[in-house]
Amino acid sequence: MKEAIIDIKSISKAYGATQVLKSCSTRVAKGEVVIVCGPSGSGKSTLVKCVNALEPFQSGDIVLDGVSLTDPKTNLPMLRARVGMVFQSFELFPHLRVLDNLCLAQEKVLGRTRSEAEVKGFKLLDRVGLAEHAQKHPGQLSGGQQQRVAIARALAMDPIIMLFDEPTSALDPEMVNEVLDVMVALAKDGMTMMVVTHEMGFAHKVADRVIFMDKGEIVEDATKEEFFGTPRSARAQQFLSKILQY
Amino acid sequence: MFSNLDFDVIWRSLPYLFFEGMRFTLLLTALATAGGIVLGTLIAMMRLSSVPILPWLAVGYSNIMRSLPLVLVIFLFYFLIPYVGQWAIGASRPIAVGAFNSVLVTFTLFEAAYFSEIMRAGIQSIPRGQVAAGSALGLTYWQSMHYVILPQAFRNMLPVLLTQTIVLFQDTSLVYVLSITDFLGAASKVAQRDGRLVELYLFTAAVYFVISLGLSQLTKRLEALTAIIR
Repeated sequence: MKEAIIDIKSISKAYGATQVLKSCSTRVAKGEVVIVCGPSGSGKSTLVKCVNALEPFQSGDIVLDGVSLTDPKTNLPMLRARVGMVFQSFELFPHLRVLDNLCLAQEKVLGRTRSEAEVKGFKLLDRVGLAEHAQKHPGQLSGGQQQRVAIARALAMDPIIMLFDEPTSALDPEMVNEVLDVMVALAKDGMTMMVVTHEMGFAHKVADRVIFMDKGEIVEDATKEEFFGTPRSARAQQFLSKILQY
Repeated sequence: MFSNLDFDVIWRSLPYLFFEGMRFTLLLTALATAGGIVLGTLIAMMRLSSVPILPWLAVGYSNIMRSLPLVLVIFLFYFLIPYVGQWAIGASRPIAVGAFNSVLVTFTLFEAAYFSEIMRAGIQSIPRGQVAAGSALGLTYWQSMHYVILPQAFRNMLPVLLTQTIVLFQDTSLVYVLSITDFLGAASKVAQRDGRLVELYLFTAAVYFVISLGLSQLTKRLEALTAIIR
């Protein structure tokens, strides 16, 4: 396997007595697209949020592009700036126009000038097909459009990795595809992606690997072909048969 | 019944009432509101902080301030601040603060307790995901607060903040206990000098009413203007 850009080393996390992650380990190579799936409460969202330290974990370590998250010398805000994150509920800043949503962190975190940030912002809005909405507020856009803006906002930071936490779960069915199209294009461009999703069609299309989680553990970590062909664990077989039933 | 009232006295004392009295009232209201909101926001941030002790300090502060009558606090500070100043700069005797500075500090500190509760509610009204989104983009705590959370919290709370400002505007009349010439104080002085108590107090009441009502109408307008499109 190529050198890992995300190296998750047996991380564990508990909320009080509830163990949400049990010694999870996996590696993601540069350019790889990894799907994380599993039943709700399995810890898949938590795992992905640990990767950019949005969720603290109690033991283990995660190394991003050679930088350890647990090293006290690590500048977490600067590290997070290089990791794009897309949330289930979009989390655009409602008081800012779409273009300002894309420019804010470019200016304040990366120190780009306003005009540099705008050029980049327009380029990315164009890429997700929303350039004409630059001056609108997020509330004036549909859910699918908002999620595409959120992807563009993350891309504006020139991330080395993109994390997606159920990016299509909050969308009306007819808006799912426009978001997945953007993600497929991103994967084809060679972006390293970790995606929590139940969109198995999307997984089929772009995944290199599938991680299946249950009760805080990584039960299966297999190539797409293996996972969809012959999942080894009974739990994954059961999950797949349910999710692919309709 | 009103035949022996002389409203001409008001006309004659208008410059004094407004250029002396109202100027003071508006200046104190504006400065104490600005200072109170800034300080109140900081206290609200302490209240919601995960750093130990800070929330405890914030709660203690606003509980103490909100448990004391304002008149008492005005007196207390007027007599206390010179000594605190002396202690702070190590002077040999109590420093001269002046009535205006004393009441400005008093109102700022007192109102900060109320503004902090408003801003706390405002900050808590912003979904936690907004903080996560700011962090995920690499914003620091202060940047997230400055550019993401506080602008939204402030807009959500604008009507309540303005309502509190109207209350503050009326409360500034309590400075009469220090014989300061605010609007009400100026009216009192004219009233007693000319023996025209009813005329002056009626007029004063009318002015307070008009300004307070005007501000509350403005609040409604602003509410519609600044609403965040969701």
